[in-house]
Amino acid sequence: MTGYVRAALARIRELFRRRSRVAAERDEELRFHVEMEAAENVRRGMSPADAHRAAVLRFGGMQRFREATNDARGVVALDNLARDIRFAFRRLHRAPAFAAGVITTIGIGIGAAVGIGTIVYGVLLRDLPYDRPDQLVRVGFVTEGIGGPGDLQSPATYFHFAKSARSFTELGAYSTSDAFAITDGDSPERVTAALMTPSTFTLLGARPLLGKLFQPGDTSWYGERLLPILISENLWRRRYGADPGIIGRRIDIDHGEREVVGVLPRSFRFPSPSIDIFYPAPVPVRRPGIAPRYLTVIGRLRDGVSATGAAADLNALIPRLPERFPAITVEMLRETNARATVESLQSATVAPVRSQLRLLGVLVAIVLLIATTNIVNLFLLRAERAGHEFAIALSLGATRATLAQRFIVEGVMLGLASCGIALPATALALSTKFGFTEGDIPRLGEVSFAWPTVALVLASATAIGGAVGLIGLARTGKAGTFDRLRASRTASSPAWRRVQGGLVAAQVAFALVLLVAAGLLGRSFWNLRNAEIGFDPANRMMAQVSLPWSGYTSYGAVAAFHAKVLDRLAALPGVTSVGAASELPLTGHGAPLLREVRAAVEGGREGVTAASNMATEEYFRTMGIPLLAGRTFRAGDLRGTPAVVVSERVARRLFGTASALGRRIVLDADAPAAFTIVGVVGDVQWARIEDGDVPMVYFPLLRDGDGIPADSTPVYRPTDAQYVVQGTELPTAATIRRVVTEIDQRVPASNIRTLGFVVDTATARVRLTMLLIGVAGAAALLLGVIGVYTVVAYAANGRMREFGIRLALGAAPARVGGMVLVDGARLVAIGTFAGLAAALGATQFLRALLYEVAPTSLAEFGAATALLVVVTLCATLLPAHRAARTHPAVVLRGE
Amino acid sequence: MAKPTTSEQVLQGTLDLLILKTLSLTPMHGWGLTHRIEQLSQHALQVGQGSIYPALVRLEQRGWIGTEWRVTENNRRAKYYRLTAAGRRALGQEIASWSRFVDAVGLVLAADS
Repeated sequence: MTGYVRAALARIRELFRRRSRVAAERDEELRFHVEMEAAENVRRGMSPADAHRAAVLRFGGMQRFREATNDARGVVALDNLARDIRFAFRRLHRAPAFAAGVITTIGIGIGAAVGIGTIVYGVLLRDLPYDRPDQLVRVGFVTEGIGGPGDLQSPATYFHFAKSARSFTELGAYSTSDAFAITDGDSPERVTAALMTPSTFTLLGARPLLGKLFQPGDTSWYGERLLPILISENLWRRRYGADPGIIGRRIDIDHGEREVVGVLPRSFRFPSPSIDIFYPAPVPVRRPGIAPRYLTVIGRLRDGVSATGAAADLNALIPRLPERFPAITVEMLRETNARATVESLQSATVAPVRSQLRLLGVLVAIVLLIATTNIVNLFLLRAERAGHEFAIALSLGATRATLAQRFIVEGVMLGLASCGIALPATALALSTKFGFTEGDIPRLGEVSFAWPTVALVLASATAIGGAVGLIGLARTGKAGTFDRLRASRTASSPAWRRVQGGLVAAQVAFALVLLVAAGLLGRSFWNLRNAEIGFDPANRMMAQVSLPWSGYTSYGAVAAFHAKVLDRLAALPGVTSVGAASELPLTGHGAPLLREVRAAVEGGREGVTAASNMATEEYFRTMGIPLLAGRTFRAGDLRGTPAVVVSERVARRLFGTASALGRRIVLDADAPAAFTIVGVVGDVQWARIEDGDVPMVYFPLLRDGDGIPADSTPVYRPTDAQYVVQGTELPTAATIRRVVTEIDQRVPASNIRTLGFVVDTATARVRLTMLLIGVAGAAALLLGVIGVYTVVAYAANGRMREFGIRLALGAAPARVGGMVLVDGARLVAIGTFAGLAAALGATQFLRALLYEVAPTSLAEFGAATALLVVVTLCATLLPAHRAARTHPAVVLRGE
Repeated sequence: MAKPTTSEQVLQGTLDLLILKTLSLTPMHGWGLTHRIEQLSQHALQVGQGSIYPALVRLEQRGWIGTEWRVTENNRRAKYYRLTAAGRRALGQEIASWSRFVDAVGLVLAADS
């Protein structure tokens, strides 16, 4: 055994040695031998010339010696390889359609698979780029009913866990906001900021590019000292020209002057790469409760502590919350089923997109599978044709190994050629990222086209090529040489026809699954676009502003600013109506950005958790939100018991069918206060269309704040506002920006978009998924048709002689054609039934993406099945037609 | 240079055995090997000169013999072959199997009908 291995190694070494040197040594040895022999002959008395000739003669032919040693050294293998490459090239050149088909199919398949695979790996599987990422967890606090959705924490719960939990080396909390503007210099710029506890940076292992991180004392917002901030490398380069003296510089952010103490490198992408400013967040427990909840909490587990262990630790601490914060009652915790969750940070980061990425991966796998099936079928058919040729080669003494090499070389050549398509396709997939952005998919920015990807493409192309080459060999090598020679050129064995038929039926099944999925998503998209969203997006646009605190400390000052902007916007040509609100529907990227309030009938027990918004008098009309009862806001609504407008859902939940107008409700926001309902408006779809509407309470955003004193304002100051403009002719973004800066040059207007675009964006997720599945379904259908056609046509070809005899004996042509049709129909039927069964299971996974259509909807299943059956049966018509027109004489003579 | 008319072509398969045995005496080059075999067999065996080199390459690949370039007594560069440890073990087995073969053939030939 070791001898065998050593022999193989020696052979491989020989291969890699320079052939010229091997040849030179061999020739030298040969020359030496002949000279020695000649010298011996001279000693025996020959003339030198005779002696040399005799020596050469005795040696028995130089060329034979050269070949013999070559063969033994394995050099011949290299020669054979070159010959096989030429041979394969000639064979492929003779069948350009086959070669082009295989190259394109493999190329696109690998391009899509590697492209998507790289994204899925980079986003879902690769470790987060922090120290010991396995120890990082997201720590959530979950309740039912109140406090809002998700796992965000209130300052009180964070404070409690951070002080008492033993499972973590550190806990950190942060929240993000895009309502900050840098107001130094000439051009104010709106930026996204993260308010993070200093512990968040240390537990992630952040290292600053310049300067230093926050110190523990940096969180005292209310002291006399200048508040320190960190800025991103992006902001540092973009706005400050990579100024090395940035540390210690004061920059003006809407809250006032800040001191830059450090720059964070681009590699620090937490919580998202779009963050430009980092504030040291204090976690003030001013109003201890389990709401408001806005903090995302992460932590680093101690060595040896599991996520489950940490969750148990935290859950044991929850009953002790009331001891620390008496505002939290034991009943409250029990009624809301309050509990803590601990999940690895990696999985929490990608949780929102995991199902979509999996779907994407499955789609690619299916298309790749179908494509591979086609290639395998093509190779099988080709091997069948080549079988005769190779049987002759075998009978003339070629070895199986030689033939195997020939097949593999052909496959690998096709595989490598397909890289010409696969590499650009992968690069394209990874640079466009299928239209996704970091906003859609967390961590997407970490994914790029790099050398490992190129290597992966090359390796998979070679492997796939070699593998399909071997399939051809298996097919050829099955029958004995003699049988193959005797067999008719076109007959094919029943076993292999069954394999081919099975492959095609599988293709049909996969195609059906994808078609059904595409149909269901198409219906969802249609339903979404036609859903009642509660407002009219046509001929409307929006703009967003966020006022600095300095100069806008009272409700009246803020309201006056908005009133000035609205007046100027209303005066623009073509504008028919303007309004403003704190937040607009469908603009929050899936998260409700609103404060939540608890609305209850005064003196009663019924209540509802509602989102709070703030609106001007004209807001509802400008948005096209119907006023169902009562009136909108007017001057004086803030005096006495202030007025609110509620959405229909709130009115119905609190008062049933009775009129809500004039009823008093208590709203428990920052402090309980009573309000009078003056109007009821239609519901609007809020975060996402598919999530439906949310109960909403609108507070008045009045022109002058009714002149009430600043400290008695019953509602919050609307420093953040969204303007809506309706008109026959909409102003340009530049015009809106100018209008705003003319009033206060520190205030940038942003997010200037039409509402139509907003709605498009809100349906983009479903549209994109539908497009992907639709494209995959179309590709699958096309490949399936090709597969059915190939196999049926090929089988029909093999039976030409039989058809000829039947026709000669008087069979009707239609009957012969029918035989072929039945062949094809059987494949389609098997595939369809298998596909329907698979689709019933597979569409359950689409549930999260479907909107108002059941995963088993009969209409979509029926339509997809009908489409598939009709199209694939059409693919069998051509071979059937050809079979029916077989001319008996031609076929019989042809044999 | 009268050649013995009884000289036999070396049987296929026995050439390896002869080479291994001869090299076990001393390392030598290809030409020397052919002559040494003929000489040892008292010119009863004739080694096809064109077949000895492929055999040497084969044995080298099996790891039974090693090669090196050396200078001969006549000051010429020549490729010398020597037996390796593996070759020595193989030689023992080849000799044993050859003896069994010869005995078996002898038994058959000695049989009286």
